[in-house]
Amino acid sequence: MLLPNVLAASSFVEVRPGLIFWTIVTFVIVLIVLRKAAWGPILSLVEEREKQIASSIEAAKRERAEAEKLLADQKTAIAEARREAQEMLRRNQQEVEKFREELMAKSRKEAEEFKATAQREIEEQKAKAVAEVKAMAVDLAMEVAGKLINERMDEPKHRALAEQFVQSLPAKGATERRAS
Amino acid sequence: MRKAMVLFVGLLASTAFASGASTGEKEDVAGYILHHVADASEYELESPFSAEHKAIHLPQMAIPFKAGACEPAHVAEDGHKVFPPLSAGCLDISITKHTVMMWLAALLLIGSLLAFSNRDKSKMVPRGVGANMFEMLILFVRDELAIKNIGKEEGPRYVPYLLTAFFFILFMNLLGLVPWMATATGNLAITAGLAICTFVVTQAAGIRAAGVGGYLAHLTGGVHWALWPIMVPVEILGLFTKPFALTVRLFANMLAGHIVIFFLLGLIFILENLAVAAVSVPFALGIYMLELFVAFVQAYVFTMLSALFIGMSVAMGHHHHDEHAEGGAGHDGHGKAHPVGS
Repeated sequence: MLLPNVLAASSFVEVRPGLIFWTIVTFVIVLIVLRKAAWGPILSLVEEREKQIASSIEAAKRERAEAEKLLADQKTAIAEARREAQEMLRRNQQEVEKFREELMAKSRKEAEEFKATAQREIEEQKAKAVAEVKAMAVDLAMEVAGKLINERMDEPKHRALAEQFVQSLPAKGATERRAS
Repeated sequence: MRKAMVLFVGLLASTAFASGASTGEKEDVAGYILHHVADASEYELESPFSAEHKAIHLPQMAIPFKAGACEPAHVAEDGHKVFPPLSAGCLDISITKHTVMMWLAALLLIGSLLAFSNRDKSKMVPRGVGANMFEMLILFVRDELAIKNIGKEEGPRYVPYLLTAFFFILFMNLLGLVPWMATATGNLAITAGLAICTFVVTQAAGIRAAGVGGYLAHLTGGVHWALWPIMVPVEILGLFTKPFALTVRLFANMLAGHIVIFFLLGLIFILENLAVAAVSVPFALGIYMLELFVAFVQAYVFTMLSALFIGMSVAMGHHHHDEHAEGGAGHDGHGKAHPVGS
């Protein structure tokens, strides 16, 4: 066949040292240029972004934990306040109750005292009235008797008689005072 | 390259083209393909639907290592000079088609990175297709290749090298898929140059991690001194097989796809039947899509293996510390070989 001849004659399996030289030169130049102009900036950018993302995630986690803690604190504070309010209410109610009872007792006592005073007053007035009534009764009786017996009896006798009568009445009053 | 053009020619091939059947024509197809995937000292600008070729002659130059070593052996009629080989003390650094493609890829790479990537620190969020795509690839190389293969401490140091290798190869691969362009990575010299870069970086990483003594000690493979005459050549051979594998893998992969596309289209001319185009053109298109994928895969593979080799070198330095600590007491000869390792 002719193919092997063609292959042998063809330059595509030939390794030219000059081209190796150019390849290495080009590669090194490309490497230096790109390292300075592209890889450095891009890689540092990427690294910075990675760092930023990592720190953002870290910060978010931290903030979340903090927020959770704050929320828990808030919740306990609210519960505490509620408990305190309840306590206060309870105490207030007790106090009010106590105060009411005290007030009631006091007013009851006062009423009691007032009642007693009034009774005493009534008793006194009653006794006075009775005495007056007795004196009036003596005078009346004397007048009536005097008129009846038509002054046949003398004054001292009548008087003694009337007094005797009055004395026989159930209550002893201040007849002497009234008589004088 | 000229795939698109060949595709059009294949679709609209005149009967005159197809009827010119002879063994010479068949041989011509193979010659045509090999000519177009091979390097050349001129850049041929073919125009579709015409046999006209515009060839741009690229400048030729050479570096003599001794005076008068670079006298051209002979000069062709078109002015093409043939310099003596390197063994004669002359380094032929003539600009070729693939050199131009490589430079074009380098310029495109630098230009597009400067134009589209986000390098502004005040804009932390990448916007747009360019910035996002570049960043995605850069992060992929950094996290999946460098950090995974080399390690978290030493990895970042080699990221710029790996990034450059990845993007440089990727751009050369992709440029080869553009009509009128050529695949620079389909040239053994260029893949060899890239592999040499990886080789140098790998060895430097080894020396950096293990020290010169540790690096040399590693060449002995940690065996008894009596076995050194066997072990040292094996280890040295091992050093060179890695870049050799890199060279051939990238070269063969990039070349093979192109040759397959060319042959699929060439079938039309070999079988002298226009109906073949109905099969070969879709197939060639399929291979072209595969080539797009391969362009990324090969850039990835080259970079991944480079990272792996660098990682092995770096690890070699770290391993040697431990190995030395436990093995040093047992073998005197071994221990002497590690003066810097401890």
